[in-house]
Amino acid sequence: MLKVRLSKARLRVVLPVFFVALSGWGLLHAQRPFKEFRGQEYENFPLPPDWNQPAEWTRARLRYNSFRGVHTFGDGLMQWTVDYPRSDRHFLQGIRRLSRIDVRSVEQVIDLDGDDDIYNWPAAYVVEPGHWNLTDEQAAQLREYLLRGGFLMTDDFHGTIEWNNFNEGMKKVFPGRRIADLDNKDPIFHVIYDLDDKFQVPGLQFLYTKSRYEYDGYEGKWRGVYDDHGRVMVAICHNMDLGDAWEHSDNPAYPERFAALAYRIAVNYFVYDLTH
Amino acid sequence: MFEFLFKYPISVFSRGTFVLLGGWPVWLLGLGIAGIAAGLWFLVRKRASGKGSHVTGARQVLVWLFQTLMASLLLLMLWHPALSVATLRPQQNIVAVVVDDSASMAQPDESGGATRKTAAANVLNSGLLNALRDKFQVRLYKMTDHLDRIDKLEQLDSTATATHVGDALKQVVADAASLPIGAVVLASDGADNSGGVDLETISEIRRQRIPIHTIGFGREAAEHDVEISDVQTSARALPDSRLGATVTFHQHGYSGQKARLTLKDGPKILAQRDVTLSKDGVEQSEAVPFNAGQVGVRSVEVSIAPLQGEENVKNNVVTRLINVDSRKPRILYLEGEPRWEFKFLRRAVEDDRTIDLVTILRTTQNKLYRQGVASPDELKDGFPTKVEELFGFEGLIFGSVDAPYLTPSQQTLVKEFVDRRGGGVLFLGGKDALADGGWKQSLDVDLIPTVLPDRKGTFVRIGANVELTAAGRDSLITRIEDDPAKNVDRFAKLPYVMNFQDPGQPKPGAVVLVDAKPMNGGRIPLLVTQNFGRGRTAVFATGGSWRWQMLQPLADKSHEMFYQQMLRWLVADTPRRVITSTPKQVLSDDSHVSLRAEVRDKTYLPASDATTEAHILGPEGIAEKVEMRPDPLENGVYTADWTAPKAGSYLVEVVANRGAEELGRDTMTFRREDGVAENFHIQQNRELLEKLSSETGGKYYKPADAQALGKDISYSEAGITVRETRDLWDMPIVFLILLALRSGEWVLRRKWGVI
Repeated sequence: MLKVRLSKARLRVVLPVFFVALSGWGLLHAQRPFKEFRGQEYENFPLPPDWNQPAEWTRARLRYNSFRGVHTFGDGLMQWTVDYPRSDRHFLQGIRRLSRIDVRSVEQVIDLDGDDDIYNWPAAYVVEPGHWNLTDEQAAQLREYLLRGGFLMTDDFHGTIEWNNFNEGMKKVFPGRRIADLDNKDPIFHVIYDLDDKFQVPGLQFLYTKSRYEYDGYEGKWRGVYDDHGRVMVAICHNMDLGDAWEHSDNPAYPERFAALAYRIAVNYFVYDLTH
Repeated sequence: MFEFLFKYPISVFSRGTFVLLGGWPVWLLGLGIAGIAAGLWFLVRKRASGKGSHVTGARQVLVWLFQTLMASLLLLMLWHPALSVATLRPQQNIVAVVVDDSASMAQPDESGGATRKTAAANVLNSGLLNALRDKFQVRLYKMTDHLDRIDKLEQLDSTATATHVGDALKQVVADAASLPIGAVVLASDGADNSGGVDLETISEIRRQRIPIHTIGFGREAAEHDVEISDVQTSARALPDSRLGATVTFHQHGYSGQKARLTLKDGPKILAQRDVTLSKDGVEQSEAVPFNAGQVGVRSVEVSIAPLQGEENVKNNVVTRLINVDSRKPRILYLEGEPRWEFKFLRRAVEDDRTIDLVTILRTTQNKLYRQGVASPDELKDGFPTKVEELFGFEGLIFGSVDAPYLTPSQQTLVKEFVDRRGGGVLFLGGKDALADGGWKQSLDVDLIPTVLPDRKGTFVRIGANVELTAAGRDSLITRIEDDPAKNVDRFAKLPYVMNFQDPGQPKPGAVVLVDAKPMNGGRIPLLVTQNFGRGRTAVFATGGSWRWQMLQPLADKSHEMFYQQMLRWLVADTPRRVITSTPKQVLSDDSHVSLRAEVRDKTYLPASDATTEAHILGPEGIAEKVEMRPDPLENGVYTADWTAPKAGSYLVEVVANRGAEELGRDTMTFRREDGVAENFHIQQNRELLEKLSSETGGKYYKPADAQALGKDISYSEAGITVRETRDLWDMPIVFLILLALRSGEWVLRRKWGVI
């Protein structure tokens, strides 16, 4: 009897541990679940009611380590969360409304941490990459991600300093590939909307400064990195802040034409990714 | 012994008819036997009832049985039993003695190292021919791929490169129409290169009642030999496509040993595999995948490396021709929503130069995005509504698109596309696909190789691991690794698919290649294929195989290979408007070629009013135009027979016209090879010889027993015959039976103490 009791007692401990370990092992090999992080601007942002409904597609937000003090002391560390998650939620609603993509209502934060999870999320967005600080390992994983079929949209970085820092990171990712200006004829500008007449999309600061540009980023640049098949795998929006445009698209003061173009660009870019 | 007991050879009994020559009616015999049986039973019972009798119970029955049998037999003899048998009239009939003169008869495998030809000559010369000549006129023939009359056996040289037993016998039958041929004696090893004797020839021989007696020469099995019996592979292929060759072979003397199987195209090795040889004389098959290579005619040499001490190494090599087409089949993919499977499927096949993928994607509620179209206007209104437009494609893919998106007439067109046009359709899983997309209620439900569930919600976003089924292990669609065991392992290690859809149970005749094992438990068929009408369909019940691309290293090509092979399977056998074929692309020591062309019009209805010509180019400047005739039994089918005059490769282009309009054209190749056939099947084919004899009323003889043929051959219903009766009453067996019955009763009575 004593033996039986001991065995049962052991089982009570061993079985839960076993199942926890098993589920942990399963998670390692499955997609990571949704998790909301604290952002620079928002905390405890309300979740949409269908946040836990699985869907075909969501746009991932790439978390990265920042350089401290690209411009001044004080900026850094949390740059990847700029506009997060309000911008993401508005963006996803827009894609859901304007296309037939089956969209999840919440974004997914992904890391270049050497784990395979990033490959479960082939469409990614990175904000303020003018601040990113990629290690060689992270650059290598981003390269592998893109070449396997991932897509990266970069946004909200301005002027020469941030461009140079971004470019340093991209050189690590693709030492042999150049960043090209996207031609107006490129399918990425025509897959749903014909976007021949694009313009610089400013951030929220436009409401206060009436200036479309930040730092010395006077002109919006539509750029990209192509793969060997001539497909855009990194879509670069420089001297623009589409993230702010999505974020404040429900703000009556923010000009509708900027928000409209931001959404059209987003729909075109990500439908392009799903078709090329 | 048989003849001693029964007075006549067994053939008399097998051919003769039992008759009673006595003048009394048969019913009287029956009545007599019944009366005797009853009388004897009365007597036996009467005696047994006497006091102190030892013959009681079962003993009475035994005694009665012995006495009744003996009396009945004696009574039967009074009715004069006999056999009525047809016999050949002496000297008025011809016996055709046909001696195989092919190269295989030069094999020195008879006793004492003699050749088969020598053994045959010895059997015939040691009295058999003379015995036959005593009764009949004897005509000597030598048999190769035809029949030649000879005067003496010395004219045999055993150098002919082919044996066509059927053709030779046809000639005998033709001679029998004008000559009183009473029987045929065939001395052969039975090694036939034309696939045996067809039923038509056998029927004709039986109709003329000519018995064929066969004498078999040669060993029935080699001591040390490996022989390739057959190689099955596609006659046509798309460039760079993966094909399978099923190589069938057997061996003697090397059971359990390893042999190297090689497929070569010229000096280039296409595939190589070590195989373990099975039991002696047992046919074994190996499926070997290989790449079809570039456009052109591939001459694939299949060989098994000679083993030490092998008696015949020439039967280790077989050649097959494969026409690698230059066509680039177009596949139309209709997708209802932008999704990952669409992107990664397109990417998987973009480097496949043999597939032209055209896509229509519903990007928004009212917008379509077309890719791969031939012109800006192509498919501008969406999925085709006209037969000519849809039938321009060879394959279709339906993604996550609901059936009602297609009009009823479009759904009918899709069904016709498979059934009549012979195209392939692939149904993918998705939130608007299969049962969830209303395909169960569509006009195309028959095309889906599974019985779709009646419920909705069959598509779930839960991961599922994949596993090859037994059929999937042999399928070229799912062959990522050449080695079957490694391939199974590779599939087991593939990343899970992101989602799956319950497609229901496979329909009868459908084949499940891959199962899904969802993470929430259970197992469902994931990849199922079936043939439908002239075409083929498949369901791949997931929209999440893209993880095979994203979750594996860049260098891994599993996903690309899977979809490339899937799509090639979809269209590889999709026929064009004119399809030319021939039963044998390699004519081994044969010159006769049958051409067949199936001709269809633009809507793929059989064109029975076409003018169809075959333009043949051959070696040494051979150029000939052959008009093909409509087959009266098959609408839209045209045939022609032609003789290839020289060994070498031939190119055939068939052109079909309807008036001034060209319906289509097709090319094919064939090759005539000489000096090959006699290297195969060199062992005695006793089965063929025995079958030939038994089907025609003849008998198979071993050389040692062949002298009996002289007597047996007289009994035949062919030629000039006379009906003879043979008495049976004086057969020794009758007297022996009577004696046995009487003495048996006596022995029993002694035992019982009656005597």
